[in-house]
Amino acid sequence: MANADVIGGPPPREALLARTLVELADTLVADFDVVELLTRLADRCVEVLGVGAAGLMLAGPDGELKVMASSSEAMRVLELFELQAEEGPCLDCYRTGKAVMQTDLATPTSPWPRFAAETLAAGFRSVHALPMRLRGTVIGALNLFHVEAAEMHAADVEAAQALADVATIAILAHRASLEAQVLNQQLQYALNSRIIIEQAKGMVAERLGLNMELAFRSLRTYARDHNLRLVDVAGSVIDGALAPSTLGSDPQRGPAQEKDA
Amino acid sequence: MSGAGIMLMSGDIPQGSLCTATAMSDVIEQLQYSLGEGPCVDAYRQDWPVLEPDLAEPRTLRWLAFTPPAIAAGVRAVFGFPLQVGSVRLGALNLCRDRPGPLSDNQHADALVMAGIAAQAVLVLQTGAPPEELASELGAGADFHYVVHQASGMVAAQLKVSVGQALVRLRAYAFGNDRALDEVAKDVVARTLRFDAARGEKDAVP
Repeated sequence: MANADVIGGPPPREALLARTLVELADTLVADFDVVELLTRLADRCVEVLGVGAAGLMLAGPDGELKVMASSSEAMRVLELFELQAEEGPCLDCYRTGKAVMQTDLATPTSPWPRFAAETLAAGFRSVHALPMRLRGTVIGALNLFHVEAAEMHAADVEAAQALADVATIAILAHRASLEAQVLNQQLQYALNSRIIIEQAKGMVAERLGLNMELAFRSLRTYARDHNLRLVDVAGSVIDGALAPSTLGSDPQRGPAQEKDA
Repeated sequence: MSGAGIMLMSGDIPQGSLCTATAMSDVIEQLQYSLGEGPCVDAYRQDWPVLEPDLAEPRTLRWLAFTPPAIAAGVRAVFGFPLQVGSVRLGALNLCRDRPGPLSDNQHADALVMAGIAAQAVLVLQTGAPPEELASELGAGADFHYVVHQASGMVAAQLKVSVGQALVRLRAYAFGNDRALDEVAKDVVARTLRFDAARGEKDAVP
């Protein structure tokens, strides 16, 4: 590391970086596309930080890292990311939550021999992985490749980490929002199911001259006898596909069956 | 405050109230459910707090059906705050008072926080529920006006119309006769009111 050069200089690129942060924040609308955001981030890393290639890896639900975005679509580069599901700086970074760097992959002591060989073959000499982390949660890593054997300037590492942090917050907020949407859909579905059943009870009660309780029993008995869901039977009654007379021939059967069940 | 309540909404219409704190807030919720207008409905649709510090002398003329009965029930100021988590909207928090006057900045801020907490709580409670059922914690103390939907089913059968059209007829009847929708629905279910008499709606002959 002692003989490593320093890439980049003190940041006259603050304006470019600030514009990138604003641009990223701008994409954080209600329905943003995660992949688009991350691809933009990878591209900006190349432009702003002057790295050779950049990519973002996110952990799936199974904990396996998957490449989500890359500044280059070249197969050789994409393979460098894919390889890291098994070994490499991103995997180490994801597991430890700490930045990982190797300033010269040509040294024979690389902890990732296969990754090092492939990376050198693709034309890169050094690599950095920065955690995508919010407090205790690590969701993936930002991966930067350089063509030279070098340590990144501290200011550039900070800038890259800032970009990774913005992306992390965006992704976590997006996930929370998706979760809320799913729960809300379940809530609406539960409310609607109940309403449909009440409407069908009313319709059956009116057609067959039953009270609400007996109307409900005849619906439930029909659902059980035909192995159907109650809400589906209720829906069929409401839209006219199932005539109340079909299910209510013997509503008194309901309570009797109840005892058997 | 003279009352507070939480309404769940979907598809732009009130689905029912999760809870109401006082008789006055109960009236506010019932009126909004019956009429489909009011501070909660607007707060939900506009995705923004709706503030009416003086119902008797409103700055914007709105809620022509809601306002007179609300004032008659002793309400002078109403405030609606949307219940939302991220981009998900669930309903609205309703606050009301028996004298006119705006919310203080602190009260406004507190209401926003309360609406946020309530929205989170609704989703968290629903997390543990079976997929097709409302969480029992949410159902307890709630009023989802099931009798109205039962009555809709009955009126649909009486008039041979869809349940949606039947609900419109029930609402129209309630509004035209200056009665709460729930009360009209109870009469239908009790079979003291039918909608299929020869000349329009009239009371059934027992």
